[in-house]
Amino acid sequence: MYLLNFLIRRVLQGLVVLLIVSFAIFALLRVVPGDPARLIVGGMAPDEVVVQKAEELGLNDPIVVQYVRYLGDLARGDLGNSFFRPKSGATVGAAAYDDPSRNERAEVLDLILERIPLTLQLAGLSVVFALIISFPLGVAAGLNPGKWQDRLAFFSGSVFVSLPNFWLGIVLAQLFSIKLGILPSIGYKGFEYTILPAFVLAIGISPFIIRTLSVSIAQIMHEEFIAVAPLRGLKRPRIVVAHAIRNASIPLLNLFGIQLGILLGGVLVVELIFDYPGLGRLTINAVLQRDFPIIQGVAIFISAIFVFINIAVDLAASFIDPRLEY
Amino acid sequence: MSEDKTVLCVRDLTVGLDNDPAARILDGISFDLKSGEILGLIGEAGSGKTVLARALVKGLGAPLVTRSGAVHYKGADLLGLSERKLSKIRGKEIGYIGANPQGSLDPTIPVGNQIVEKLLSVSPGMSRKAATERALEVLAAVRIPSPEVRFHEYPFQFSGGMMQRVMIVDALVTNPAVLIADNITQPLDVTVAAQIIRLIRDLREQFSTAILFISSSLPVAETVADEVMVLQSGRIVEKATPTALVQNPQHDYTKSLLSRLPRIWGEGISGPEAADTRTLMTVEDVHRTYFVRKKGSFRGVNAVQAVRGVTLDIREGENIGIVGESGCGKSTLTRLLAWLESPQAGSIRFAGQDLSKLGAKDLTKLRQSFQLLLQDPYSSLPSRMPIGRIIAEPLLIHGLCKRSEIRGRVLAAMREVGLDPALENQLTVGLSAGQRQRINIARALVLEPRLMILDETLSALDQVEQSKLFEVFDRLQKTHGFTYIFISHDMALVRKVCHRVAVMYLGRIVEFADNNALFDNPAHPYSRALLSAVPTLDDHPFSSDEYLLEGEPPSPVHIPPGCSFRSRCPLAQEICGRVDPVAQVLPGGGSAMCHLVGQDAPARSLAAGK
Ligand code: SF4
Repeated sequence: MYLLNFLIRRVLQGLVVLLIVSFAIFALLRVVPGDPARLIVGGMAPDEVVVQKAEELGLNDPIVVQYVRYLGDLARGDLGNSFFRPKSGATVGAAAYDDPSRNERAEVLDLILERIPLTLQLAGLSVVFALIISFPLGVAAGLNPGKWQDRLAFFSGSVFVSLPNFWLGIVLAQLFSIKLGILPSIGYKGFEYTILPAFVLAIGISPFIIRTLSVSIAQIMHEEFIAVAPLRGLKRPRIVVAHAIRNASIPLLNLFGIQLGILLGGVLVVELIFDYPGLGRLTINAVLQRDFPIIQGVAIFISAIFVFINIAVDLAASFIDPRLEY
Repeated sequence: MSEDKTVLCVRDLTVGLDNDPAARILDGISFDLKSGEILGLIGEAGSGKTVLARALVKGLGAPLVTRSGAVHYKGADLLGLSERKLSKIRGKEIGYIGANPQGSLDPTIPVGNQIVEKLLSVSPGMSRKAATERALEVLAAVRIPSPEVRFHEYPFQFSGGMMQRVMIVDALVTNPAVLIADNITQPLDVTVAAQIIRLIRDLREQFSTAILFISSSLPVAETVADEVMVLQSGRIVEKATPTALVQNPQHDYTKSLLSRLPRIWGEGISGPEAADTRTLMTVEDVHRTYFVRKKGSFRGVNAVQAVRGVTLDIREGENIGIVGESGCGKSTLTRLLAWLESPQAGSIRFAGQDLSKLGAKDLTKLRQSFQLLLQDPYSSLPSRMPIGRIIAEPLLIHGLCKRSEIRGRVLAAMREVGLDPALENQLTVGLSAGQRQRINIARALVLEPRLMILDETLSALDQVEQSKLFEVFDRLQKTHGFTYIFISHDMALVRKVCHRVAVMYLGRIVEFADNNALFDNPAHPYSRALLSAVPTLDDHPFSSDEYLLEGEPPSPVHIPPGCSFRSRCPLAQEICGRVDPVAQVLPGGGSAMCHLVGQDAPARSLAAGK
């Protein structure tokens, strides 16, 4: 019952967020320079064609009308069609305006659905890697403040933070793909193609996790219930695992909810470096081409992921600590 | 024969600091603890009580180190045991309960699971089912209502008193031979603390455990212990039976402890007499209800009735005490009196003016006349401002006098509260709680108020500081004719300084009477219970066995119909469940909200247990 209330409330809030985000994106894309109709038909097309195209797309209507129409489509699961991408593949930006293939444009929804599993796989694996790297460092640091473990964690965190991901990506690709030949790095033909980019991403996010873990563990170790636990008869490993780490996982979850943006930002760059066919590459190409429907679609999708993950994070946190009201 | 009964034998235990070879936190502590015995240990803050409690079970953390000594238990020296061997004894055969019940368990796990976790940790062979049954059994033994339900609740869902019971369960669940109880009643309200003490006495018989009962209060230790040791700066200076200790103290320190104990009852002890002066503030039937969202619900709210119809008149130049247990609405009433919040119904008039009818400007002006002083002297002072400036701040804000006069008024105020004027340009770092409280007083004083509301203002201070500050208050009252409202849970302080006392229960003043009338002949059953629970060496006019309350106040969300004290009242009658009593005037001039008041005299004195 509580759970249902919570979900209803949060999903409604999430929908409001999505509405705001979509309108903001929609409005912003209409004020940046570049006439979509002109972009679609190409620079060579005569002006009548442009005008006709604009009429066809409803670009002359007031922006609110356009937005409502867009929302209506959205509700039916239609995110519109790409301006440039044909169903078949390669972009058609350079083709002549009267080329018939121009009408066969790919649906944005298909484009996104096709790529999103790859991006989620990349993001998920990088979080796993980051946790594997950060847990030993962060927990050891938190248990031994001021000692070498603490300094080690601080040092590695600082190093990781200062490695630019494009540089690290290139170095690792050189080492593992070219020199050692054990891991592929360009494109995507199977799971192993995710490993290197995920690792690069993991290095980028682990400093945050190490820091949060070490700070919160150190703080929790000073709590009364940890101090009296041995007097009550609990053994040290149990105290650390069942109580200290358990309590420290709440700030960690919150961090995850907040820093999701950084993770996704990293995903975009890393996908570009490794030519990884995920959402990131799609977005960057769309931005470069001003392919508005794709940009809108991706933005809405990403906001939805944000909303969803934050609900999941709060839910998980309140399962761990029932004092947190959901 | 009696030698055989010794279970814990401490010899020459000395604890120091790892960075200072000369420091002695505990110095040559030796004593024996026999099975079935309650050995009291009293000492003031900083005497090393908690260090001793933890040193006995090798539970000291840096920078504390055990320098020498031995703790013999069953033929082995605990201090020499390896962690592995020690873990078979600690928590299993020697239980420990601390002074912070609410912080002693992991806040994210139900209490029952944590007791089971502990039980399984110290007795590896046990099945989870057996452990659960055992935990439930002991939860019932300490009289926690509906243990099966509470087993699954989290620490934050327990009140302090209930949580302390849980910690007692946690310690006793393994049937330990020794129990170390470190100041376990300290954070609790008096009636709850009295319940816990009675529980400890009962449990000793049930479990035949040897108990080391550590307390900062001699009267508390006196009520439970067979023998009491006095700890001063890490040394045991005296050990005797409670009676001998109280009647015939040997050591100077014990004597001074005894002499410093505030007296509440006894020959020649009486409170200040109330005088009939002009009325300064009238509080009429004020109500304050808070609406808080129900946990986990969509729209539902809980109405927390914090103050439900309080009527009070405060006379010029007198000291009013407002007493009651935590959650009785004292703090809300304080905020209403200080006009930090306005009542939803009822009125407060100050010097004849209805505060709710005043415009913003007049209100600001009138506000200077009543000042609130809070309990916590640390967070209420800015740390980066020189002291003189802190005190001048209200003058600057209100723009009350010429800039050139400010310094003079600040210095005068500092002198009046006993602050060295040389401190004017210093920061507050390093000042004691008493000094900080003086700054607070001076800051209020520069506005030349008429009424000061003191919300537990003195409770963070030790006895000596307390009485010094009280002298300051007294002097200010004599020179400026101040009126004080003391909101306090410290009955001894109220007895000493207040002319009239209001007893609060569940958002109401159940009795309002002159000091002597209340302390010598309380009319309301709750007042009697409260007074009977006050730990004191004085002869109680009411035996605590007769008046000890069971249970805890109902939540201010679900107030029972009829008399709200009915669920705990030992004298409740049929009418109490139906009719909410109204305030009745007492013969002595006070008033009380109870059906028994105002009935013919014999019934009343019967009720009073005389
Ligand atoms: S009215 Fe009844 S229940 Fe209330 S205090 Fe008096 S006797 Fe007790």
